[in-house]
Amino acid sequence: MKKVYAFENKCLGCGLCEVYCATAHSKSKDIIKAHKDEKVASAIFIEEIITPKSAFYFSLQCRHCKDPKCIKACISGAMYKDENGIVRNNKDKCVSCLSCVLVCPFGAIKKSADGKAVSKCDLCVETGFPACVENCPNEALKLLDENSEELK
Amino acid sequence: MKYLIIGNGAAGLNAAQTIRSKDKEGKITIFSNENIEAYGRPLISYFLSGKVSFENIFYRDKDFYKKEKINLLLNTPAEKIDIKNKKVYAKGKEFEYDKLLIAAGSTPFVPETKNLKNQSNVFTFLTFDQSKKIKDAIKADSKVVIAGAGLIGLKAAEGLYGKVGKITVIDLADRVMASVLDKSAADIIENHVAQKGVEFILNTSVAAVEGDAQVEKVVLSNGKKLDCDIFIIAVGVRPHISIAKEAGIKTARAICVNEFMQTSAPDVYAAGDCVESLDLLSKENKILALWPNAVNQGETAGANMAGGKTLTPSSFAMNSISFFGMQLTSAGIIGGVDIFIDKNAGKLRRLNIANDNLIGFVLINDDQRAGIYTSLINDRVKLSEQEYDIKSKDIGLNFYAKEKRRTKIFGKED
Repeated sequence: MKKVYAFENKCLGCGLCEVYCATAHSKSKDIIKAHKDEKVASAIFIEEIITPKSAFYFSLQCRHCKDPKCIKACISGAMYKDENGIVRNNKDKCVSCLSCVLVCPFGAIKKSADGKAVSKCDLCVETGFPACVENCPNEALKLLDENSEELK
Repeated sequence: MKYLIIGNGAAGLNAAQTIRSKDKEGKITIFSNENIEAYGRPLISYFLSGKVSFENIFYRDKDFYKKEKINLLLNTPAEKIDIKNKKVYAKGKEFEYDKLLIAAGSTPFVPETKNLKNQSNVFTFLTFDQSKKIKDAIKADSKVVIAGAGLIGLKAAEGLYGKVGKITVIDLADRVMASVLDKSAADIIENHVAQKGVEFILNTSVAAVEGDAQVEKVVLSNGKKLDCDIFIIAVGVRPHISIAKEAGIKTARAICVNEFMQTSAPDVYAAGDCVESLDLLSKENKILALWPNAVNQGETAGANMAGGKTLTPSSFAMNSISFFGMQLTSAGIIGGVDIFIDKNAGKLRRLNIANDNLIGFVLINDDQRAGIYTSLINDRVKLSEQEYDIKSKDIGLNFYAKEKRRTKIFGKED
């Protein structure tokens, strides 16, 4: 399947991916309203590696594991893998117990902004193309097949 | 192939689902001693509080059993296993099996208590049915006494909070959540819950109850008497092993299994809260009554019953629970150093490090990517070989050294 891959040698840590992720997962799809009114949590973690000589960044989201630990830990049946292999969270069933957060080896799940469910990457399944990839100014995020040559 | 599964919880249901993914034709029958389809057992406290509706308590979609061709027998507890003739008896009928799974879970432990005799206002809190009965019994001015300040007792208190007149929680230990937390961490939880108005009486046990048709008073070991309209016993659970034991299957504190989830009897498997399994950290056989463990073991048993040869994933204690809005996340061995502790703000981060490995952590209201800590425990990652001192900052995937990080993000290891 295709997933979003982060290239730390290209990432500037600018945070645009987070901004557009939150916007894409808002009701209004409006960049201002999403952040000011709806307060949507993005499904992305921007990480930095600071050494005395340099700084690197990468932007991480759900790896859509083949055998996802989050689904096994989910006590309500809210977390599931859809027919395309995308790991998704049914917000109506999620009780925000954070069992998924406890077991995700990537730390790629966070509490939603309203605290009632969790936020995680769904590869922008609703809009069709990941907003983080589309809006990355430096091609540090790419939507690639897991067997792509670029990952070798 | 005829598959029989005793128990319709996390282990039994996931076993059935795994069998069906590997054997499209086999006949799968599940015995359940409950009256509804599989539900998220920990959700019963959310059902009690009203946060989760009856419709949303179910673990799978409505048409799941039909779609997967699983024959679910509700209200049909398995009564006896004949391992020689490969039969299970239930409701006066006999059922043949080629492969059998015992995933019977656990039952509430009710200690011998003077004058306690099935009074109508005495409840346990482990099933949907019990939750519903409590919900139907409570009134706005009910005085509720809960015996047990562990996970089940505290979740019962949370579920009842704001719906009854008074809640008192009693425990023999000097702290809440005694099996998971030490005193200093437990105090943070206790203070938070007590501030909401729940009364704790610790270092104390229930000596007796008074009343015949109803429990009217709960008598404590210190002689004090509490008025009581609803009495909930939540002092712990015991694995349900009698059916296995009577059949001659090897048991200790729970049913003994190997890493393929096989019991001592041929073609009989066991999984979930009714088994003892190897604890990765202590290297001892323990009852690890945890939801993810039950799912893993159920899947392993199912895969092997359908002809596979799968080892069950390693396991150790872990919990993610919220009490009255305070989030407790922990795993591994109790103890270690406090990175920070703030009793007033109700925050704690504790990491337990030994021999360059993380072996445990406790987080209270510390919004961390806890799964990375869990993964460091599980994978026995050498802490000194990574990017930074784990004690020095918030955890991220950036903790891993470059190569490991790259494999994690680019690879397919999980």
